[in-house]
Amino acid sequence: MSNLLEINNLSIDVKIEKSYYNIVNRLSLSIAKKQKYGIVGESGSGKSLTSVAIMNLLADSLSVSEGQILFEETQELTTLSNKEMMKIRGKDISIIFQEPMTALDPIFTIEYQISEVLKIHFNHSKKEMREMIISILKDVGIPRPESIMKSYPHELSGGMRQRVVIAMALICKPKLLIADEPTTALDVTIQAQILELMNELTEKYDTSILMITHDLGVINETCERVAVMYAGEVVEESSVDSLFSHPKHPYTQGLLKSIHTLGDRSEKLYSIPGNVPTPTQLKKHGCRFASRCPHVMDLCKEETPPYVEVSEDQVSKCWLHTERGEYNEQGQKASVASEEYEKTFSD
Amino acid sequence: MNKVKKPVLQVKNMKKHFPIKGGIIKRTKNHVRAVDGISFDVQEQETFSLVGESGCGKSTTGRSILRLTEPTDGEVYFNGEEVLGCTQKEFRKYRKDMQMIFQDPFSSLNPRMTVKSLLLEPLMTHKLYSKKEALNKVYEIAERVGLSKEQVSRHPHEFSGGQRQRISIARALIMNPKLIILDEAVSALDVSIQAQILNLLIDLQKEFKLTYVFISHDLNVVKHLSDRIGVMYLGQMMEMTTTESLFNNPLHPYTTSLLSAIPSYDRNKKKDRIVLKGDVPDPANPPSGCPFRLRCPQAHELCETHKPVYQEVEDNHWVACHLYNEGIPERKRIRL
Ligand SMILES: Nc1ncnc2c1ncn2[C@@H]1O[C@H](COP(=O)(O)OP(=O)(O)OP(=O)(O)O)[C@@H](O)[C@H]1O
Ligand SMILES: Nc1ncnc2c1ncn2[C@@H]1O[C@H](COP(=O)(O)OP(=O)(O)O)[C@@H](O)[C@H]1O
Ligand code: SF4
Ligand code: SF4
Ligand SMILES: [Mg+2]
Ligand SMILES: [Mg+2]
Repeated sequence: MSNLLEINNLSIDVKIEKSYYNIVNRLSLSIAKKQKYGIVGESGSGKSLTSVAIMNLLADSLSVSEGQILFEETQELTTLSNKEMMKIRGKDISIIFQEPMTALDPIFTIEYQISEVLKIHFNHSKKEMREMIISILKDVGIPRPESIMKSYPHELSGGMRQRVVIAMALICKPKLLIADEPTTALDVTIQAQILELMNELTEKYDTSILMITHDLGVINETCERVAVMYAGEVVEESSVDSLFSHPKHPYTQGLLKSIHTLGDRSEKLYSIPGNVPTPTQLKKHGCRFASRCPHVMDLCKEETPPYVEVSEDQVSKCWLHTERGEYNEQGQKASVASEEYEKTFSD
Repeated sequence: MNKVKKPVLQVKNMKKHFPIKGGIIKRTKNHVRAVDGISFDVQEQETFSLVGESGCGKSTTGRSILRLTEPTDGEVYFNGEEVLGCTQKEFRKYRKDMQMIFQDPFSSLNPRMTVKSLLLEPLMTHKLYSKKEALNKVYEIAERVGLSKEQVSRHPHEFSGGQRQRISIARALIMNPKLIILDEAVSALDVSIQAQILNLLIDLQKEFKLTYVFISHDLNVVKHLSDRIGVMYLGQMMEMTTTESLFNNPLHPYTTSLLSAIPSYDRNKKKDRIVLKGDVPDPANPPSGCPFRLRCPQAHELCETHKPVYQEVEDNHWVACHLYNEGIPERKRIRL
């Protein structure tokens, strides 16, 4: 299977008062054609930065310091000029943001805004455009599209606006749809509508999806593969099946454990101690999760852990999977810790 | 659980209608029926949760109880005493026992004050302690919620979201309240931090014998914390029962679809999802009859013409739906 998008060792730095801090560190992932790929992580872990970097829209204070983003194996997105990128944005790759109003202009009608997207990439007649817009609005479940397309964004509810944004993102039948927290601002019943809609439409249009979310439930319901991010790094990359049935990285294990004890009132809710480090708190060397990890060893604080293939479809960035990490500070065999986890997890 | 059954809080048929003004002379044209006649009791040391979608009136209910906004109608009893009839000044004596914690810890904390002065402030306004006693109390409570002595002299913006929420909790706790209303208190926090704060809230409740009214749209969190749950829609209570029976035996069609919409964390159990049509109607123009009827998969003729009665259909299980006018038919027991 050939890759539609391939990110290799992408690093992004931020400039704060003349110093550079690393906020996305050597991120690699690849998305196959028609694949539904997820990035999950807590707020500030670098999910949105990754999506913005793919669109080549990083703010001036931010820069790609290393790595490549290959689209369809030939185009290196980080090196394209804005003019070249314009041909790709909205046509080959579209993006949906958390807050629909970031994509919609309050002073123009829905019809006008969708036709603007079409005009950039095609030369359709007015009548053709009208028909295309009506048909895509129907596809995203907007009732009475002929009259709704004449309305302004503020006249629509949050759920309807997000549908319009999806219609706008899909109108050129993109090969890749990036959805950055597309349902976080919506209620659960509307979230369910939108996720179902996205699943349907991407099947219909053969679009690959990059779903970015902080919610493992959304990953479970929509994705085939997933990258778990922590403090700017991918800590585990896996099929969604493997991630849920045998998570390998201590951070992923912690997240799943806190979710699975939720709702079970007899048990204390499992929690990961401490806080997510901010970019200025990060050290150059060592594991970024070390300050919160229940299995931390001396080694972890000094040396950066490698990516290790832990099962046939799973990679995890942790010393525990290597020979050097076999014994932790208490002299306990590290793999025991992982087995212990799986035991509590399978109950 | 062996809790003494004594209502700390009783809300009876409370309404809050916000006027919508229009035209040049700003005449009231219509009303947003934010809260439209809701009733519930909260027992001592219980956690009672209010759930429902955005705009259904959860926050307005919480704010009305504390008279941060004046309810339009209804009664509220605190420890058996009616507290809506008295003046705001008289109400102050109850306020010390009823605290509120908000979603966004940053906007509710004055950025110019140190944590120490933030915590001292309520103690000093109520003149309950000498300065020295008050300071000791501040350190004691701060430590209890997990803030060190050194951290107490810092400003709120130097803290992360989770730590700021600890500060808000300390601020509510320092008055020794009986009742705390928590409005989306953990909703803005990341999963790994959310768990820390929820554990803290549960521990504090036992230790200080607190009663919680917990407002949230997150049903997973609510399930973890609550003894009983009320489900609101368009300013009205649709269903109210124990946590266990709400999740295992939901009766109201709205509750059923709300539960089925939660994204599942279980890889093996794919849900039969009930996807609701359309959006929540405008609370200024609610539909006739049942407020849920425009989205209800089981709506029938009666639902359009008559508003369903909110009634106790079995022990401790209240529902407002015409499907249960004759009690609960066996086949209606839906299991998820
Ligand atoms: N001060 C106000 N003036 C006019 N309308 C208001 C006011 N405050 C709230 N409302 C309206 O009352 C209804 C209920 O609002 P409320 O804030 O109680 O909802 P909520 O259930 O807390 O929602 P959310 O989950 O989004 O916090 C909404 O339609 C809202 O727009
Ligand atoms: N324009 C920017 N300037 C400086 N720092 C930024 C900017 N955008 C994001 N960051 C920082 O980069 C980190 C990752 O941000 P982001 O990708 O938005 O996280 P996520 O989407 O995972 O919540 C955060 O620490 C954030 O504060
Ligand atoms: S490398 Fe060390 S600190 Fe990092 S996750 Fe693995 S065990 Fe924990
Ligand atoms: S009263 Fe009718 S419309 Fe309302 S919830 Fe029951 S069945 Fe549905
Ligand atoms: Mg983001
Ligand atoms: Mg609210």
